[in-house]
Amino acid sequence: MTDVLVSVEGLRQSYDGRQVLSVDKLELLEGEILAIVGPNGSGKSTLLRLINLLEKPTRGDIVYWTGKRLSEVDRNERRELALQMAMIFQEPLLFKRSVKANIAYGLKMRRMPQEEKEGKVLEMLERLDLAELADRDAMTLSGGEAQKVTLGRAMVLQPRLLLMDEPLASLDVLARKALREDISRLVRELGVTAAYVTHDYTEVLEIADRLAVLLDGELQQVDRPSEVFGRPATEQVAEFLGAENLLEGEVAACREGMAEIDIAGIKLEALCEQPPGSRVKVLIHPEEVVLLADSGDAGSARNRMPARVTNVKVLGALVKVSLECGFPLVAYITLASTEEMGIATGRRVTAAIKATAIHVMPYVGRPEASG
Amino acid sequence: MGDIWQGFVEAVKLIIHFDPYVMKIAFFTLYVCAIATFFGMLIGIPLGSALALYRFRGRKFMVTVVNAGMGLPPVVVGLFVYLFLKRRGPLGFLGWLYTPKAIIFAEIILATPLIAGITMAAVQNVNPKLRLQSKSLGAGEIRSTMTLLSETRLSLLAAVIAGFGGIISEVGAAMIVGGNLMLNGEPYTRTLTTAIVLEVNKGNSTLAIALGIILLGITLLLVWILTSIQQGGLFSEPVRVARSLFSRFRGEET
Repeated sequence: MTDVLVSVEGLRQSYDGRQVLSVDKLELLEGEILAIVGPNGSGKSTLLRLINLLEKPTRGDIVYWTGKRLSEVDRNERRELALQMAMIFQEPLLFKRSVKANIAYGLKMRRMPQEEKEGKVLEMLERLDLAELADRDAMTLSGGEAQKVTLGRAMVLQPRLLLMDEPLASLDVLARKALREDISRLVRELGVTAAYVTHDYTEVLEIADRLAVLLDGELQQVDRPSEVFGRPATEQVAEFLGAENLLEGEVAACREGMAEIDIAGIKLEALCEQPPGSRVKVLIHPEEVVLLADSGDAGSARNRMPARVTNVKVLGALVKVSLECGFPLVAYITLASTEEMGIATGRRVTAAIKATAIHVMPYVGRPEASG
Repeated sequence: MGDIWQGFVEAVKLIIHFDPYVMKIAFFTLYVCAIATFFGMLIGIPLGSALALYRFRGRKFMVTVVNAGMGLPPVVVGLFVYLFLKRRGPLGFLGWLYTPKAIIFAEIILATPLIAGITMAAVQNVNPKLRLQSKSLGAGEIRSTMTLLSETRLSLLAAVIAGFGGIISEVGAAMIVGGNLMLNGEPYTRTLTTAIVLEVNKGNSTLAIALGIILLGITLLLVWILTSIQQGGLFSEPVRVARSLFSRFRGEET
């Protein structure tokens, strides 16, 4: 079993009486990269600052790797814990000194002997391919270079826990890609546990071991990225993750975990434990929708519906096909399949969906606008 | 125009001949201003930093006091210091009135709010996340504040220049609490500004102009040195040479 490095328990944070964060339980496992995603203002950065001991929580506790609780630690223990963490912020916050001096900053704060310090700084500069910039004034670096230096400055400390608050947000596409690779490589090489906060979940899918979704200050779901995407815990999580084919329906019948869901008069079979009569939200992943030129073989797919193509949009190698089959449905198919099947607006096809590809969630009604 | 030229020529002569009277007044002025600026920095920089970084009860009042203090009329400061230091005043027991200590005391009061006010504005202008970043890398409360001050070093030098410039050019406070005295034929509490006032009153405008030019010269020289340090021009070349010699020396050693 993987060890828990940090455990957040019943954490609440309020500013001027307004609660901005409420996390009942969140564990950071040793050696993992935990991505914490959520829209702006959902409390992600606050959570990082609390873990990094930069703020005191209004309520709740954090248990660190020493086994000590935040509420129990004295000043010295607090400092000891702080020295084993490092944080990278959204903007590259460099000091007005050379690149080398910036990377050495944290080591200097730890009173590391000069020789050892220089060795570590040089090694980090080499690792990040920054050796040529060592003596450059940090204020003259480009955004990508500057954020790379902040990564080096944090990683040279070989922290137990690295906290990253939207480190790619201020960079262009190329710099983002390069730095994301550097982060992933260094974190794995040095065996550091990392918490990575971002509002753009696509930026962490490649590197995160687990994904935590934070909405309106509340933790909605924590799981492997594939699980969160495949089976979002709530409609809000699905919406945040940009889910298409999020439909409303009602359980018509349910037997041994297999239910018949009524969506706008069309019956779909899906795995579901909700009792008949329950209103539900149904998520059908567009890439799980199979299109057939006729009603021929669709393997084991339990659901087959005649559909009419209403729109075709080429998205590079994939094509987004909008369908009408009693309710609007989107399918992603390859460009080659589109051409082979002659998919075009107005074309009649059969849409096939496996029962296991349909994810059913409890329905949470939205408050209706008054007045 | 003739008087000014005459005064300029006289000033050059006095400087070239190291006129003892003028030199002593000039050195006394520098001595008093340097000590007052030093103490002004000692109080003003931490005070300005604290007002910029922390929220506490009475902060707004203190900010108002500092801001008001930046425009304090030297004569009024002189008057209050006089009232405190006079024999029957609350601090009369110190026996500082009409001594250099009284001038330094008054000038610290003039320099401190200037330095504190500019420091406060400078620190407030720095991205507050920089301090968080510094703390997240292991700096404590004091080290993170020092880092922030180091980031604002150019503005801090501006604060020192303003503090020094404010007190070297003032006359009211030095006159009231120092008395512009000579002791045993030597200037005792006579500064360049109070000496100028005296010479003008005596109708000796040539000497007054000479002293004025010397005062202006000292002020310009010191401000130029501080500005050069601030803008990185004064020491950059010597530092570059020293670095290159040092690296050569190390290279030979290895």
